[in-house]
Amino acid sequence: MSGAVGEARREVRFPISEAFRFSVESIRKRFTRALITAISIVLGVAFYVGLRTMSDIMIFIYGGSEAARSYQFWMAIISLIVCAVGILNSMLMAVTERTREIGTMKCLGAMDSHILMIFLIESSLIGIIGGVMGAVIGWVTGLLIYVGEHAAILFNPALLGSYALRIGEGVLIAMVLTVGATIYPAYYAASMDPADALRFEL
Amino acid sequence: MRYEYTVETEDLAKYYQMGEVVVKALDGINLRIRRGEYLSIMGPSGSGKTTLFNMIGGLDRPTRGRVYIDEVDISKLDAYELAWLRCRKIGYIFQTFNLIPVLTALENVTLPMIFAGVPREERLRRAIELLTKVGLGDRLHHKPAELSGGQQQRVAIARALANDPVIVLADEPTGNLDLHTGLEIITMLRNLNKEKGVTVFTATHDLKMIDVSDRIVWIRDGKIDRIEKRVDVVVSMEEM
Ligand SMILES: Nc1ncnc2c1ncn2[C@@H]1O[C@H](COP(=O)(O)OP(=O)(O)OP(=O)(O)O)[C@@H](O)[C@H]1O
Ligand SMILES: [Mg+2]
Repeated sequence: MSGAVGEARREVRFPISEAFRFSVESIRKRFTRALITAISIVLGVAFYVGLRTMSDIMIFIYGGSEAARSYQFWMAIISLIVCAVGILNSMLMAVTERTREIGTMKCLGAMDSHILMIFLIESSLIGIIGGVMGAVIGWVTGLLIYVGEHAAILFNPALLGSYALRIGEGVLIAMVLTVGATIYPAYYAASMDPADALRFEL
Repeated sequence: MRYEYTVETEDLAKYYQMGEVVVKALDGINLRIRRGEYLSIMGPSGSGKTTLFNMIGGLDRPTRGRVYIDEVDISKLDAYELAWLRCRKIGYIFQTFNLIPVLTALENVTLPMIFAGVPREERLRRAIELLTKVGLGDRLHHKPAELSGGQQQRVAIARALANDPVIVLADEPTGNLDLHTGLEIITMLRNLNKEKGVTVFTATHDLKMIDVSDRIVWIRDGKIDRIEKRVDVVVSMEEM
């Protein structure tokens, strides 16, 4: 059994495989919460990718005048902000409401790095699933809007590249924002003394 | 190696700055807890029991003074050693249970064993054994919200014992329970102390604890008021 604290190097262990299992389990257990979070990611990314796809098609058809460019540019910025605020808001809430749980896990021997690992895996999974779904939905919606008038040119090889780019951007934005908005509050909660985390009220 | 004192505090103090005023939650506590002792901290609400529990358990940082666990100053531990201490050496029982709401009783008890690196099958076997021992063998897959207060506290006790701690810290373990359930929990702690030699430290204002404690430390306004051995208490009761 246990001896003195300082005698030898004592370590707690939490391998990646264990963390992965824990994270997946955690998402499954809070499925409704995860779904709400994922939906906000899907909507945000779909909004962004949809608008960008549409503007790519517009520019392809009508060419880009200066005025049109700046209009498209602002549309892109606004869609990005809407997307980012949606994701940040829901992720920050989802982690902050688990502060006490983080405190409890620290009392049971979790290190800050273990906690970060769990939240990193959880948010990456949610981010990638939400991001891919959102990007595909946004892209398909963008195409559907023009399919009546311009069906012929929608799959023009020159456009395919920009579609791929938009979808890639959408997934990347989802990943970065989801992980970022999770890790920050998780790190904050993990670095609190457990006594403070346990006392935490939303 | 064996140490006579499992826990020692030296001039332990915790102050909270609340605007203009300083709240002295603990103010110079010197306490030595023997290995295998059952020690109760009693005192009115706000006297500093929870604060002391947090300090001894390495869950919070003192403003002044030191805590030694097996003669090691815990403020000198690095992150690995501190996590190890919380994981393997100390079992915590909280007044508010602090179970993880989305996990079942079984999973809550398994959790500390994950961090201790216990293999999966062994974790499950041991968690089932512990839950059966606290009388919850038929509630393994219930979540905390589906259990009564007393049952939740028993899950918390099973969780605290998962990694065979040498010290069990309990902050008002009976505070939220009725008389009968409270007695059951106290008996459980006492047996643990008697049979396995686990050092038990409880913060409480439950007078039922007096009968089972080796010593009772009375605190008031963050200071030790007096310390009574159980014999003293028994004698004074017989006198009456
Ligand atoms: N985080 C905090 N910030 C400010 N003051 C605090 C904090 N925690 C505790 N205190 C103060 O420290 C004192 C001791 O609190 P503590 O919780 O240790 O009392 P207690 O003996 O456990 O009381 P109870 O029996 O009601 O649980 C109280 O006056 C309380 O207001
Ligand atoms: Mg208290």
